[in-house]
Amino acid sequence: MSGLNEFASLPRSTRRINVIEGDFHVSGRDGDVLCTILGSCVAVCLYDVVARIGGMNHFLLAEPTSGDRQDPLVLERFGAFAMEQLINEMQKMGARRETTRAHIYGGGMLRAGMERIGAGNRAFARNFLERDRIAISHEDVGGNYARRVEFRAASGQARCRIIPMTEITPARPAKPNVPTLGDVELF
Amino acid sequence: MSPISILTVDDSPSMRALLRHTLAGEGHIVAEAEDGIAALEWLSGNDAPDLVITDINMPRMDGFGLIEAVRAQPCFRDLPMLVLSTESSDEKKSRARSAGATGWIVKPFDPAKLAAAVRRVTH
Repeated sequence: MSGLNEFASLPRSTRRINVIEGDFHVSGRDGDVLCTILGSCVAVCLYDVVARIGGMNHFLLAEPTSGDRQDPLVLERFGAFAMEQLINEMQKMGARRETTRAHIYGGGMLRAGMERIGAGNRAFARNFLERDRIAISHEDVGGNYARRVEFRAASGQARCRIIPMTEITPARPAKPNVPTLGDVELF
Repeated sequence: MSPISILTVDDSPSMRALLRHTLAGEGHIVAEAEDGIAALEWLSGNDAPDLVITDINMPRMDGFGLIEAVRAQPCFRDLPMLVLSTESSDEKKSRARSAGATGWIVKPFDPAKLAAAVRRVTH
């Protein structure tokens, strides 16, 4: 499966940056390719068409073994955090919501009974972007397969390919890397 | 705890909705603004809230600018202002404290800690 935009051949100055689960990366540098591999996880790629700045995050908002015990608002807070980190970093570099477009990738079902997890991740991404008025220009989500996504941050070009499930590690409970979760400091 | 009025300032509608859900669930009265400029406009046209909770990274006027602008008005000198941010660096916290912030809460927030902080700074 190919994404919205086909890659041209990669120049020698290409720098590949892996965006692992719970992480994000932002760049405006020509040649920076943000890469990730997705199963049930979702990656949101944002691109400001005017500022020519792009970024990718990679998150999983459901724990495969948690059943229905997980508070959806807890997941919502972690998801919002993953999105806000990405948006804030892009805004610091000059991006604006009004000129930013989004791609959503992943949220697949790799094993029977796990559809709820992938569906939850992609529903969160869609809902967040709609509420935050960021236009979704492309989606490649769902299905019972894994994906490899490559996103050129400075041009917004993306490529999404189906890959063998053996190339991904099993989904695990994950939350974004937050060193001081919910820490409160009164001055 | 008796209800208090809180102005939340965040450029993300999703984050404002989460905050509204949490704070209204505690029985508080919640007003919203999308950035520092909108918050100042709200403050100039309404009764002073009991508390302001503001994000830092916002377009037009960020949280630091908002805190400085509010503190420049004598009538808001004692208004509690909590920062709620994805950032947690000492440099940013120090800047917020110098501007006149009352405290700093790191996102993603813990509702129980947020409620406790609201109680402490408003009573």
